[in-house]
Amino acid sequence: MVFWILIAVMTAVAALSVLVPLSRARRSADTPSGNADEAVYRDQLSAIEAELKRGLIEPEAAGAARTEIARRLLNAHDAHGQETGRGSRGPGLKFAQGVALVGLPAVAVGIYLLFGAPDLPDAPLSARLEAPAEEQSVDVLIARVERHLSENPEDGQGWVVIAPVYLSIGRPQESARAYAQAIRLLGPRQDWLTDMGEAMVIANQGLVPAEARQAFEQAAAMDATAVKPRFFLALALGQEGKKAEAIEAWRNLLAGAEGTEAWVGAARNELAELSGSDGPSDPGSQTPAPRGPSQEDVAASQDMSPVDRQAMIRGMVAGLAERLANEGGSASEWKQLIQAYVVLGDRQSAEKALEEAQAAYADKPEDLSSIKDVARQLGLTGS
Amino acid sequence: MIVEFGHYALVLAFALSLVQSVVPLWGALAGDDRLMAVAPPVSVTTFVMVLLSFAVLTNAYLTADFSVLNVLENSHSAKPLIYKFTGVWGNHEGSMLLWVLILVFFGALVGFFGGNLPKDLRAATLAVQGWISAGFILFLLATSNPFTRVVNPPLEGADLNPILQDIGLAIHPPLLYVGYVGFSITFSFAVAALILGRTDAAWARWVRPWTLLAWSFLTLGIAMGSYWAYYELGWGGWWFWDPVENASLMPWLAGTALLHSAIVMERREALKIWTILLAIFTFSLSLLGTFLVRSGVLTSVHAFATDPTRGVFILALLCFFIGGSLALYAWRAPALKQGGLFAPISREGALVLNNLFLTSACAAVFVGTLYPLFLDAVTGEKISVGAPFFNLTFGPLMVPLLIAVPFGPVLSWKRGDLLAASQRLYAAFGLAILMTIFTFWLWGMEKVLAPLGVGLAVWVMAGAVSEILTRVKILEIGPSRAFSRLVGLPGSAWGTTMAHFGVGLTVLGIVTASAFQEERIATMRPGDVVELSGYQLTFDGAAPRRGPNFTEEVGHFTIRQGGIFVAELDPSKRVYTARQMPTTEAAIHTTGFSQLYLSLGESRGDGAVDVRVYFKPLITLIWIGCVIMALGGAISIADRRLRVGAPKPARKRKSAAPAPAE
Amino acid sequence: MTRKQRRLTLIGTAGVVLATAFGLILFALYDELVFFQSPTDIALTPLPPGQRIRLGGLVEDGSVVRSDNAEVSFRVTDMENTVAVTYKGILPDLFREGQGVVTEGFVNPAGVFVADSVLAKHDENYIPKEVAEALKKQGHWQGENAAAN
Repeated sequence: MVFWILIAVMTAVAALSVLVPLSRARRSADTPSGNADEAVYRDQLSAIEAELKRGLIEPEAAGAARTEIARRLLNAHDAHGQETGRGSRGPGLKFAQGVALVGLPAVAVGIYLLFGAPDLPDAPLSARLEAPAEEQSVDVLIARVERHLSENPEDGQGWVVIAPVYLSIGRPQESARAYAQAIRLLGPRQDWLTDMGEAMVIANQGLVPAEARQAFEQAAAMDATAVKPRFFLALALGQEGKKAEAIEAWRNLLAGAEGTEAWVGAARNELAELSGSDGPSDPGSQTPAPRGPSQEDVAASQDMSPVDRQAMIRGMVAGLAERLANEGGSASEWKQLIQAYVVLGDRQSAEKALEEAQAAYADKPEDLSSIKDVARQLGLTGS
Repeated sequence: MIVEFGHYALVLAFALSLVQSVVPLWGALAGDDRLMAVAPPVSVTTFVMVLLSFAVLTNAYLTADFSVLNVLENSHSAKPLIYKFTGVWGNHEGSMLLWVLILVFFGALVGFFGGNLPKDLRAATLAVQGWISAGFILFLLATSNPFTRVVNPPLEGADLNPILQDIGLAIHPPLLYVGYVGFSITFSFAVAALILGRTDAAWARWVRPWTLLAWSFLTLGIAMGSYWAYYELGWGGWWFWDPVENASLMPWLAGTALLHSAIVMERREALKIWTILLAIFTFSLSLLGTFLVRSGVLTSVHAFATDPTRGVFILALLCFFIGGSLALYAWRAPALKQGGLFAPISREGALVLNNLFLTSACAAVFVGTLYPLFLDAVTGEKISVGAPFFNLTFGPLMVPLLIAVPFGPVLSWKRGDLLAASQRLYAAFGLAILMTIFTFWLWGMEKVLAPLGVGLAVWVMAGAVSEILTRVKILEIGPSRAFSRLVGLPGSAWGTTMAHFGVGLTVLGIVTASAFQEERIATMRPGDVVELSGYQLTFDGAAPRRGPNFTEEVGHFTIRQGGIFVAELDPSKRVYTARQMPTTEAAIHTTGFSQLYLSLGESRGDGAVDVRVYFKPLITLIWIGCVIMALGGAISIADRRLRVGAPKPARKRKSAAPAPAE
Repeated sequence: MTRKQRRLTLIGTAGVVLATAFGLILFALYDELVFFQSPTDIALTPLPPGQRIRLGGLVEDGSVVRSDNAEVSFRVTDMENTVAVTYKGILPDLFREGQGVVTEGFVNPAGVFVADSVLAKHDENYIPKEVAEALKKQGHWQGENAAAN
């Protein structure tokens, strides 16, 4: 409401700037246009006199110029004499008043309603970042923490908060960097070291890089009973081709397990693969790991090896994609699929999914625009 | 809400422009004073509205409001504050809003300071200005709306093109636009004069300050753009004959001719046709420049985004204004009364010659700029017209003009005496010959044209100085009395002298920097030394550095002359993070008027870098000359006589009692 | 001088200046135009040595070789034909393998294109218009649609 009142005030100011000069009583011909010309020519004459006095021009040139200007002055004077009778009250006044009162507001409001978005509030970045947390999307919250950290890079707790978030939204490199900052500022802790290593492994497509290995070793040294660092160390040994040591590491790991933990299946698989190519396999390790992408598996994937986790997510995504392609699905499912592809770093498939989603919802503008919003936030081009 | 107010203010400005374009014109034609009286307040209100919307857009940039599409696409929250501010016009929509802001600003200036004009002329001029404003605000709203909104905006914008993240962006476009768009007023004056049949000496006087104002700013804007390209692009060149540069040069050439013929029209009522047509063409060329730059028919750093509908819209505006004004001219031309007569050898004659050369040069630039577009459209053949074309056409046309420049002010009006005029220029001619010989002695005979060019530049400068000195008869009355006379000279006389002197300086800079420049390209490893023009450049090594929104590799160089330390230079290669776009930051050392220019190329990985060094003698004179030209224009504007008819301030009485001392 | 003579003098001068300007423009247009050609154009009709042209295409992947003294050689391709180019100087910021480029220069007797200027424009997504059209003609333009396929 306030908005429209202010719009009305602005319009009124504009209309008044037309109406006020119209309504002022016409001043009599005290400054008719002829006078302006005459003033110029009079001044030209006096300039000639001044130049002559200073000796800047020759007397005869001054004389010639003077006659010329005098002639112009006379002409202007004559023309002015003929200009009497101006200022008739024609239909112009009514027309102009009508324009100011009706035409101007109609044109302005009409065009504004065509192009404007009166319902859309401002969204300055600082206000968006300061709004209460419960009204915020994850993106905003992350941006807020990031901004806080870029101003206070020595705040270790901040890094601790954001590191796992990065990992869960598919930015493992930044996650690893955040953990490294936390460890630098607050000192090493077993779980941070392990999670940092894990983030590095994910960022490295499942291979354990040397820095990650050091982190796991340090973590294992801090807490010999911790399973996760040892799990990754075993994985690293396997990847480095040290089969015997890897098999031993896996066996040690499995020996301490109760058999029901989520990671056990993955560990057995690794062991089976290693020993299968190395000699007689251990029959006890042949138990097939649960492979179907069920709800439990999603939960369990937290403890799975990153390679397996990636594989499982890919499998799930592929299933979702197939289902959506064959049977269709809700807009939010499509959005989920697009997001999943982006998280997996497969932008090409994301673009493709976006295209299919747009085709599927071409006739439902609301859903379509929400899909497009998601795509825009993910930085997809759409086409 | 604030953003929407800005949007509404712009719409309101459009509606007001429509009123401004109809009501006052009706009044002027019907002789109704009240309708005419609408023009000034409406022009001021229109300006206030556009200013409001510009302020709102600026606010959106400063607060990083990414719900405005324009901000989202061209800003970034980590961008330094100054570039958030200047980034407002670092994109198509914002720069067009600035264009319109300046357009309505000139309208408001005439509304506010036009009290000395006849009412009908002021009303008609503002009405024509209203047509232009309405056309361009509609263009903004319909095809380039800076207030388009985004629902659920992302948290980060796409950042401003790094090339534009420079202080140059704060200065160059506003200056250039004040020049470019300022000529809209002379156009409006010309069209109004044709409508009212009022083309006389007084009209020329009223137009002159506006022409001078626009011309001075255009001069500064072009010079600033040239210097910006020189240090930012890292190629060491200051003028590329790029179509966009040409687009600003053409109105400058036409505007310079306009400036000179308006003087003749004011003094002698001659050259009416020249003046009116030049006023129309100058702004038409400004519009053409806007079309070339904004339509995307050219690929250039200035073409922010290309969109065919924009091109078509501007083309339609272009046809409307150029076609309409020329049709009006054809209709009204028979009514133009023959003005004062003059002999071929006279100041008028010299100024006709000046106009001829300037318009021919303008035509040459026009052909060189548009011929490739024309050929592409007709035959599909791709060609480029580069510096050689312009050197061959523009250069030869400028030489006789420059030779003639000193003669103009010393010839008398109506019938001049070439011999007497030459006598007043003996000293200047002698000095020019001396400097030519001196340059030959300094640089040898291998470059014949360059010393002659130096001589020509000195001729123009010395001619300007000797004109004003002989004018006050310095030889006859002695320096002390001549000095008091000099001080008493009208501003326009000083303006002429300064502007002509500035032309000479610019020519001198161009000649020396082009002919005597030295260049070295080398691959350098730390410790390597390159020798150039008596300077030794040592490469000390390179190191990475972080800026607010970029990372850079900075090379460190020490410059010595004969083993004595002169300066340190730190050129760099930057990568702007948001767009992953590399730029080259040249390092420049100025000694006197000359510059040492150093830019980095690719680094070779083993600590070696490619380096390009130039020594450019007297290059800064190019831009200093332009500044002096613009100052000359400013001094002319300040001439008391141009304000004739304005209510004169009450004269101070000499007998007034002195203020009591305290 | 009579009024008529004055007039004639003025018109005569104007005629001379305009004719000079016109002549210069025509001469320069005849002599100083630089045509844009693609590697295929050159392959079809070899250039006379010394004729200045603008050569446009993509910088072939893996073809950039730098040597000391800031000399660089690379090949420009339009996917049909390639032309070897040498250049001494600082390459523009956006010069990259696989990206569009326009070079100006001439073919030396050895058949190598000696460039004296290399342009890669100011925008990271920019492919010079001429290059884009030349590639389209060859049927190798993918441009905006590439991502969607």
